[in-house]
Amino acid sequence: MFSEKPVKILLAKPGIDGHDRGMFVLAKAFRDAGMDVLYAGLLPKPEEIVETAINEDVDVVALSLLNGAHLVAFKKVSDLMKSKGIDDIAIVGGGTIPDEDKTKLEKLGITGNYGPGTPLKTIIEHIQSRAEEARKKKIGES
Amino acid sequence: MILDVAPLADGILKGDLRSISRGITIIEDQNTYIAGRDLIRRVYPHTGKAKIIGITGPPGVGKSTIIGNLAKILTDQGYKVGVVAIDASSPFSKGSFLGNRIRMQDKLHNSGIYMRSLSARGASGGLTSCIWDTIHILDAAGFDRIIVETVGAGQADVDILEVAHTVLVVLAPGLGDQIQAVKAGMMEIGNIFVVNKMDREGSYFAVRDIEESLMLTPQGEWKSPVIGLESLKVEGYDALVDAMEKHVEFVSRSQSVAKERFMAEIRAALRYDLSYRISKLTDSGLQNLTNLEMKMEKHVDPYTVAEEIAGKVLDTKDS
Repeated sequence: MFSEKPVKILLAKPGIDGHDRGMFVLAKAFRDAGMDVLYAGLLPKPEEIVETAINEDVDVVALSLLNGAHLVAFKKVSDLMKSKGIDDIAIVGGGTIPDEDKTKLEKLGITGNYGPGTPLKTIIEHIQSRAEEARKKKIGES
Repeated sequence: MILDVAPLADGILKGDLRSISRGITIIEDQNTYIAGRDLIRRVYPHTGKAKIIGITGPPGVGKSTIIGNLAKILTDQGYKVGVVAIDASSPFSKGSFLGNRIRMQDKLHNSGIYMRSLSARGASGGLTSCIWDTIHILDAAGFDRIIVETVGAGQADVDILEVAHTVLVVLAPGLGDQIQAVKAGMMEIGNIFVVNKMDREGSYFAVRDIEESLMLTPQGEWKSPVIGLESLKVEGYDALVDAMEKHVEFVSRSQSVAKERFMAEIRAALRYDLSYRISKLTDSGLQNLTNLEMKMEKHVDPYTVAEEIAGKVLDTKDS
């Protein structure tokens, strides 16, 4: 009866990219891992993603792009969050991201950045640890 | 660390979205029960103005789409609209896919409408255990029309009756025998019946079927209307909004509705309070359990052990 609130995660593709099969695979995997999963639908604007993340008070925003615009689009989401003073929602990335871009994204606080073929377990564990950080900032360590 | 809820309560009363969101997170998380309770105590004096509109019906009839349209129309009329949508959770992993938002989000962005998705977290009845507190927070934040969407499991979604001032039961043509099936549960809880997808074949038969079965159901002073909608073209909503306003006015005059709702609030809070105490007592009782090995060796039955623990924890509670 008395239970902890599960990890809440928003999946989004913040650009012109309709490849969402991977998103559905992840959505199901995250749900099966016990998370509350939201999907932003196709073609959301970065502003809409941030608005949804705030309204739903998610722990993690997971961004994915396969179109090469990750440095611009992920950064836009991250910048918008920073400009609103949000530091308690973690951002993770994924898609087709070249290795040299991964460090650039990490510097923005966007971690993970997993590519095709990554075991689901790896992704889930990463999200759980980032979610835990975010949750601690949200409601304080008990 | 004990969470300081005072600034959060201030933010909620000012209508700050991030405070509202964070407040709902706290009342959703049962680990922060004390903070959640204190928060509700602070905001409760500012509640009581909102009218709660419940939307229920079988899966796939268009509940989320209707809410998107309705929220937009009410906002244009000058209301401050909040939406709470509840989704089913997996009985195995406890996880959920909160998919209602997708069908209404075009209408939400930049409109001032606040929308929150909640997982049912195993609660039966089509709602979630923190629904009252979620409504209190939105009410205190100045939302005067709060739309609550139930899980949509059909007949079992009857808890909305306690929470909402006005219950909309949404159906669609082609449900055929399903209308017969929902008669017992849903036909009794609807204040307004909506047939969505009026462009589909058989829509007028659906309206007639519902009207006929309503005639067989004993009704009180309020006569539940049946309204047809074509949601993709946003048609028929004038009649719906009109019926909703009439019902809100009808309910406002009723003293018994207010009393029943207050009783339901107390029942929910009491359940939560008792289950919190039980979980605390269970934890401390198990911690102080002595001679576990001996009991195991003697093959003592669990009820005897439980009784012994219960006796101790309840004793210490009294003294």
